[in-house]
Amino acid sequence: MSTRLPQGRASVPAPPGPSRRRVLAGGLAGAGALGLTGGLSGCGSPLAAGVAGTPLNPESVTFWNLFGGGDGARLQTMLDVYREEQGSPESLTAATFAWGNPYYTKVVLATLGNKPPDVAVAHATRATILAEAGLLEPITDDLLGLAGLSSSSFTESVWEAGRVGDSYYTIPLDTHPYVLFYNAEVCQQAGLVGDDGKLVTIEGREAFEAALTEIKGVTGDVGMVCSNVGDTSGSWRLFQTLYWQMDGATDFLGEAGQQLTVNEELALATMDYIGGLAKSGLITPTIDYAGAGTKLFTGKAGFQTQGEWEITTAQGIEGLTFGMVPIPTVFDQPAAQADSHTFIIPRMERTDAQRELAMGFVKSLLDQSLTWAEGGHVPALKATLESPEYQALEPQADYASAAEIAKYDPPGWYSGSGSTFENIVGAQIGLVQQQLASPQQALDAIKEQLRTYLDTPSPVLGS
Amino acid sequence: MTTLTTPPPVPPSAATRPDGSPDTGTRVKTRDARAGWLFLAPFAFFYALFLIVPTLYMLITSFFNTSLVRPGLGSFAGFANYAEMFGRADFWSAMWHTLQFTLYTTPPLVVLAFVFAVLANRLKRGQWFYRLAFFLPFVLPSATIGLIWVFIFTPGTGLWPTVQGWLGMEPTAVLADPSWAMVGIAIATVWWTIGFNFVLYLAGLQDIPRELYEAAAVDGASPWQQIRSITLPLLSRTTTLVVLLQIIASLKIFDQVYLMTQGGPGISTQVALTQIAAIGFTDNRIGAASAFSVLLFIVIIAIALIRQLFERNQDRSA
Amino acid sequence: MATTTGTTRRNGVSAAAPAAQEPREKTKDSTRAFNVTAAVVLTVFAVLWLLPSLFALKTSLTTNSTAALGAPAILSDLQITFGSYLTLFQAGDIWNWYLSSFITSAVTTVLTVLFASMGGYALSRLRFPGRNLVFLLMILGIMVPAQVLVVPTFQMLDAAGLLNTYWAVIFPQVPAVIALFVFKQFFDGLPRELEEAARIDGAGYWRIYRQVVMPLSGPVVAAMAIVTFVGVWNNLILPLFVLSNPELMTIPVGLATVQGSFGQMFADIQASAVLGALPLVVLYMIFQRRIIEGVAGTGIKG
Repeated sequence: MSTRLPQGRASVPAPPGPSRRRVLAGGLAGAGALGLTGGLSGCGSPLAAGVAGTPLNPESVTFWNLFGGGDGARLQTMLDVYREEQGSPESLTAATFAWGNPYYTKVVLATLGNKPPDVAVAHATRATILAEAGLLEPITDDLLGLAGLSSSSFTESVWEAGRVGDSYYTIPLDTHPYVLFYNAEVCQQAGLVGDDGKLVTIEGREAFEAALTEIKGVTGDVGMVCSNVGDTSGSWRLFQTLYWQMDGATDFLGEAGQQLTVNEELALATMDYIGGLAKSGLITPTIDYAGAGTKLFTGKAGFQTQGEWEITTAQGIEGLTFGMVPIPTVFDQPAAQADSHTFIIPRMERTDAQRELAMGFVKSLLDQSLTWAEGGHVPALKATLESPEYQALEPQADYASAAEIAKYDPPGWYSGSGSTFENIVGAQIGLVQQQLASPQQALDAIKEQLRTYLDTPSPVLGS
Repeated sequence: MTTLTTPPPVPPSAATRPDGSPDTGTRVKTRDARAGWLFLAPFAFFYALFLIVPTLYMLITSFFNTSLVRPGLGSFAGFANYAEMFGRADFWSAMWHTLQFTLYTTPPLVVLAFVFAVLANRLKRGQWFYRLAFFLPFVLPSATIGLIWVFIFTPGTGLWPTVQGWLGMEPTAVLADPSWAMVGIAIATVWWTIGFNFVLYLAGLQDIPRELYEAAAVDGASPWQQIRSITLPLLSRTTTLVVLLQIIASLKIFDQVYLMTQGGPGISTQVALTQIAAIGFTDNRIGAASAFSVLLFIVIIAIALIRQLFERNQDRSA
Repeated sequence: MATTTGTTRRNGVSAAAPAAQEPREKTKDSTRAFNVTAAVVLTVFAVLWLLPSLFALKTSLTTNSTAALGAPAILSDLQITFGSYLTLFQAGDIWNWYLSSFITSAVTTVLTVLFASMGGYALSRLRFPGRNLVFLLMILGIMVPAQVLVVPTFQMLDAAGLLNTYWAVIFPQVPAVIALFVFKQFFDGLPRELEEAARIDGAGYWRIYRQVVMPLSGPVVAAMAIVTFVGVWNNLILPLFVLSNPELMTIPVGLATVQGSFGQMFADIQASAVLGALPLVVLYMIFQRRIIEGVAGTGIKG
C-alpha cells in the first residue's frame, strides 16, 4: 500500500511506532541521562537546582573570580590550601570567568537571579557601582570580626576606595599597578643596567627615548612593547599613566561620570606621543597581549609596559633574567595607572553560618597574602605589606612604590577596570598606536562614543 | 492490503453517532471547537507567555527608564529612549554593521551554496561526502565555531596568517583589524551555515526532472546552457526563499560577534543584538535596550512582510 | 537509445523518456569535461570545508605547549596526546554542562513535538471559531525573532523566580512556530480516510490523534525532534543571560564564558570545542537522513 505524500515522492508510511534505530538511540540517551543524574542528584546538586531552584552547594563556599593566566594558577594553589584546611575538596566551588564586562554582567545577573556566589572578586572601581546598585552586602565591623579583622587591618587608601555613602562594601586584597618589565640581558647589552644588576633610573623624555633607541639597536626589532590588540585596557593603562605624568592633568570624567573633564590638550599630547613612538619604530605598532610578552621574553624587545601580575609568566620562562620597576617618569611627575582587587559579598539570603563560612574563606585567602604578593601584587593587608618577608621579595621591592602613585580610573557608572569607558577610550588609543587613527580623530571618536553615557544618569542609583 | 477507496462523501447532517442518534452539524462544530482549542491550548499557552507577553513588555518598557537592577518600570521617558537611539552614533553603526554583515554573508551563502549544489547534483558518487563536508559545520554549536575560528585567526601564529605566509601574502591579524574583523566573522559564518542552503538547493534540484536536461542535451545545449536555461529559472523560488531567510537570519546575528570579537576592535563589529545586550545587561538600562529592540523588530518584520508579498507575487505569476 | 552516462534516475517521476537520438559528440565531450571539472572543483572546496574542523581536532590532540607555538608547530606534530581531554573530563565542569544541555534539549524537544503536533492537528483538521485569527498570529510568530526578546524574557523569568533553572531555558523555546507549521502542512497532506473511518467508529479526537495520525507521522516527528534538539542545544543567547551559574550552564554558554581558567591552554580550548560539539556530531552521523529531511522541509515550507 502506498500513499502519495505532498512532496510528490512515492513513499511508504513508516510503520507504527518508533523505528528500531530511534529506540536504540533513545535508550542510550536515557541510560546516559540516568547515569549522569544518578551521580549528580542530591540536595545541593545542579540537577536539583536546575529543576527546582534549590540553592547550590549550601554547605560549601562558592567563589567567583576573573583571574586567568599566572594569577589564575596562583589562585588555584591558594584555593587548594583552603580546601586542605577545611579537610574536603567539596568545601569550595570556584569558577573563573573572562575578565572584564562579561564577568561583572554575570555577577549582576546572578545576584538578580538569586544565585550569586558567596564571595566574589571585584575591582575597587567596579565594586562601588555594584554597591550603588544595591547588590552587595555592607562590610561591617561585625562581619570583619568574623575573620578576625577590622578596617584598620588594611591600607587606608584601599579601604576607603570601597566606600559608598556611609558604608564600606569591599574587603581589600591588593593594589596592582601598571609597571615596566625589562629584559636584563638586553638592557645590559644596551648599557642600561647598573652595577647592582638593576635598571638605571630613567627620567625625562630624552633619556627615555635614548634608552629605547639603544635597546632597539641591540634587539634589531623594537625597544619596547605595549600590547594594544584585543587589549583595550592595556592601551588605557598606558595612556592613563603617561597622561597623569603631565602637569595639569585632570580626571577624565567628573561629576560621577556625567561630565567630560579631561584636559584635551594633554590628552592629545599623550596620544601623539604614543603614536610617535610607534611611528619611529621604538615601540611595536600592533601586538596582542601574549605576543607582547613573547617579544620581551625572547629578547626582541627590552622593555614592556604591563601589569605586575605578569610576573608569574615571566618567572616561568627558563633562562630569562628580568626586572620590574615603576614606569619611568617621562614627563613631569611620577604616576602609574592602577586598580585594586577586593572581595565582595553579593546580596543574598544567607544564614549566619553561611556568613561565617564565607568570611572564613576570605580570611584564609588574606592569610595567604604573601603568596598572592609573590604573584606581583602589592598587598592591601598591612600585616603582610609591612612584613620583612614581603619587603625582601624581589623584584617586588623595586616597584612597590608604584602603588603609592597609583591613579585609579575616573568615577562613573560605566567606568572602572574592564568597563565600557576603558573599552571606548582604550580602543581609540590602540588605533593611534597602530597608526590607524590620528590623535584628533581618536579624541573625537571618544567624545562621540561617550556622549550617550555622559548624558545618561546612572541606571544603578535608586531614583 | 488493498488500496483505500474514498468512501462516498457523507454530509455531516446525515452522520450518525454510535448510539444511533443523528449527528447534527452544530454538535460536531461544538465538539470540533472544544477539541480544537484543547489541542491548541498548550502551544498557545507557551506562545502567549513567551512570545506575545515579552513583545508587549518590550514595547512598554521602551517608554520608561527601566533599570536592570532597580524594581519596577522606572520613570516615564516617553520617546526619549527612541530619540537617544536615533542620536547615538553607535546605534547607527550597529545597524550599519548588521547590514554590512548581511551584505558580506548573503551573496556567498547563496551563490556558493547554489554552485556547490548544482555540481554535487551532477555527480552521482560521493554525495554523502559532499553533504558531510558542507553540512557538518551546521550542527556545531556557535561556541565551537567561535573557538575554532578565533584560534585559526590568531595573529602571527594562527592557521590563517600561516597559510597567508605560504601563499606569499602579508599576514593579516584579521580579528584585530577594524577593517577586516567583520570579514573574519563573515568567513566563519559562511563556513558554518552554508550547509543549510546547500541542502535546500539540493532538495530543489532533485525535484527537477532529469528529462529536461536530457532533452536539452539532445538539442546540443552545453552544461552551462542547461544550467542557465533550466536550473536557474526552476530554482528561482528556492533562491528567493534562501535569500530572504538569509537576510532575516543575518539581522539576528549575535553568537559569532559575541564569541569572536565582543563587538571589537573598538566597535567595528558591534551589531544590533550585541549592542542591545550591552545596553541592557552591561549598562543595566532595560528601557533603552527595549527601544533599540523595538526598532530592530520593525526592520525585521518589514523585511519578512516584503518576503510574503514577494512570494505571493511569484505564486501569482508562476 | 537514451544516453547512458552511468546515471540512475533519482527523482520519483517514472522514466517515460521519448526515444531520443544520440546527443552530438561535442555535447557528450563537453558534458564529460564539465563533470570532471565539477568533481575536481567540488572536492577541492569540500576538503577546504573540512579543514577547520580537522585543524581544531588536531590541535586538541597536541600538548598545550605545542599548541601555543602556533599552526606550523601543530601541523608538524605527529604525536597524538589525549591530555587535554583528560584535563577536561577530570575538571568536572563539562559533565554539568552536558547534563544541562541534555536535559534542556530533551525536555524542550518532547514538549515542542507534543504541543506543536497537537496544535498542528487542530489547525489542520478541526474547524473552530477563531481559527483564522490563530493562524494569523502564528504567521506573525514566525516573523518575531526570539533573540530580540531576550531582554524582556529575562525580566519575566526574573519576576517568576525561574532564573538559573533549566526551565528558564526550556519554556521560552517550547513555542517553536516553525514546528507548528511543519506539522500542520504535513497533516494537510495526509489523506483523511483513516481518520474519518475512525471517527465514524466513534473515536474521540484524542484517540484519533494518538492512534491514527501520529503513527503516520514518523518522518516528520523524527525530523522536528532532531531539528528542535539541535536548535536548543546550540542556542547561546538565551541561556547566556538566564543561566549565570557555571554548574547550570549549557555547553555553549560554558564554553563561551568559563574560559578564563584555561588561560593560554590552546589545546584544552580546542578540546573543549570538540567535546561541546561531539554529541551533535554523533547525532548527525546516526540521523543524517532525518536531519537533512527536516532542514529541507522547514526551508521549503517556511
